[in-house]
Amino acid sequence: MIKITPSELRLVAQYIQSISGIYLDQSKTYLFETRLSSLVEAHGCSSYQELYNKAKNEPAKTIEKEIVNAITTNETLFFRDKGPFELLQHKILPEILDARTNLSTIKPRIKIWSAASSTGQELYSIAIIIKELLKNSQDYTFDLLGTDISDAAIAQASYGKYNRFEIERGLDKRNLQKYFTLFGDSWKIKDEIRAMVNFKKVNLMQPFSNLGKFDIIFCRNVAIYFTLADRKKLFTKLSASLADDGYLIIGSTESLTGVCPLFVPKRHLRSIFYQKK
Amino acid sequence: MTILSILVVDDDPALLRLLQKQLTKAEYRVEIAEDGYVAKTLLEKHRYDVVLTDLIMPGEIGGIEILDIAKKKDRSIEVVLITGHSSLDTAVEAMKKGANDYLEKPINFDELFLRLDKIAHAKTMRKSATDLSLALNRTEDEATQTIQMLEILSNTLQQSMQEIENALRAENHSPESNIAHALSIISQHAGRSTTQ
Repeated sequence: MIKITPSELRLVAQYIQSISGIYLDQSKTYLFETRLSSLVEAHGCSSYQELYNKAKNEPAKTIEKEIVNAITTNETLFFRDKGPFELLQHKILPEILDARTNLSTIKPRIKIWSAASSTGQELYSIAIIIKELLKNSQDYTFDLLGTDISDAAIAQASYGKYNRFEIERGLDKRNLQKYFTLFGDSWKIKDEIRAMVNFKKVNLMQPFSNLGKFDIIFCRNVAIYFTLADRKKLFTKLSASLADDGYLIIGSTESLTGVCPLFVPKRHLRSIFYQKK
Repeated sequence: MTILSILVVDDDPALLRLLQKQLTKAEYRVEIAEDGYVAKTLLEKHRYDVVLTDLIMPGEIGGIEILDIAKKKDRSIEVVLITGHSSLDTAVEAMKKGANDYLEKPINFDELFLRLDKIAHAKTMRKSATDLSLALNRTEDEATQTIQMLEILSNTLQQSMQEIENALRAENHSPESNIAHALSIISQHAGRSTTQ
């Protein structure tokens, strides 16, 4: 494995933060080396400095994308933490459907955003809950959007194919049989669920107001990789992207205290969600 | 490393005995079945880590059918096929259906042990990953409850502070009455905190 020098470490850490928002602790030298050394070699470079120069000067941004793919953590699973999904099923969805139904006679459109969707498990879990809750109801239109900074994660999410290890984590046998098809030694999400969702690449460090306003935003376990300053910016932008009576769900061990005063935490059973003040 | 339990299925009695002898000598837990039907019955009754089966056997239950039965019962069972050179294409097809690997006849035992070592290693790794994930979940659950409690408490305190500030700044009352109001908010809050 190619060793990284202290000056390269500073340079690469700053570069990664500027392109992805991800703040990497510079004391964790091994993290840079294990995740990036193969890229250094693959691009015929002899040092991290050379890879950095190449990435900066390449108009197609292929190397930049590869660096983002290598550095992002795609730790996710179906129904990760039961809490947020029970919250969605028993509290948030019924409330939002109720609120939107009373508003007008037009078929209500509910917009849900999985802001760091990784390889798609969170958004597919949400789609499964909606399917289970509303069966084949034609009374509502759902827009389910999953976004992630990593092209590789978005590609896998869009394809909807998972290996045995990914499937075994979090998905019970009933949902597996009902919503997935065996595909060789992997499982592929069925078209009825795949058709409910869309995935696209979004960098949360960049403006995203063009995505419109959402009724429910899941932004779990991504801000933990950002600096406090970047977290503040992110949650302020998320507040602007959330409907006035919308719901924000963050990771179960995350907190908005001291991060964003625009939200107020509310507890339901064993979970917390946030609404605008 | 995990001691693998292996079901060996082959209609050739000599090869079956040889496999049983070599695998037992290498300290694997071994059971044998002389055809697909016996294997099916054993698979229904017992749990194995690995099924090592001949691909082509007489009757309606061959290696591919055993693969299906094993995988239906438990997807974590690894199936290794034994194949003659003429049935290589079928073996490759079986790999696509979830077989772990295949071995060509005549069996090279070094190669077989190498494959089994890899399976045992993968199983150990998977178990460690599962254990680690369980431990992480437990820790995460504990942390979640603490963080949630603090998050709600901090929000309640902020609201109380705001109420106290508003009470103290109220312009249409005397300072004494403002202070009395503020103190009553504080005592109410103290009451709430002790009951939480």
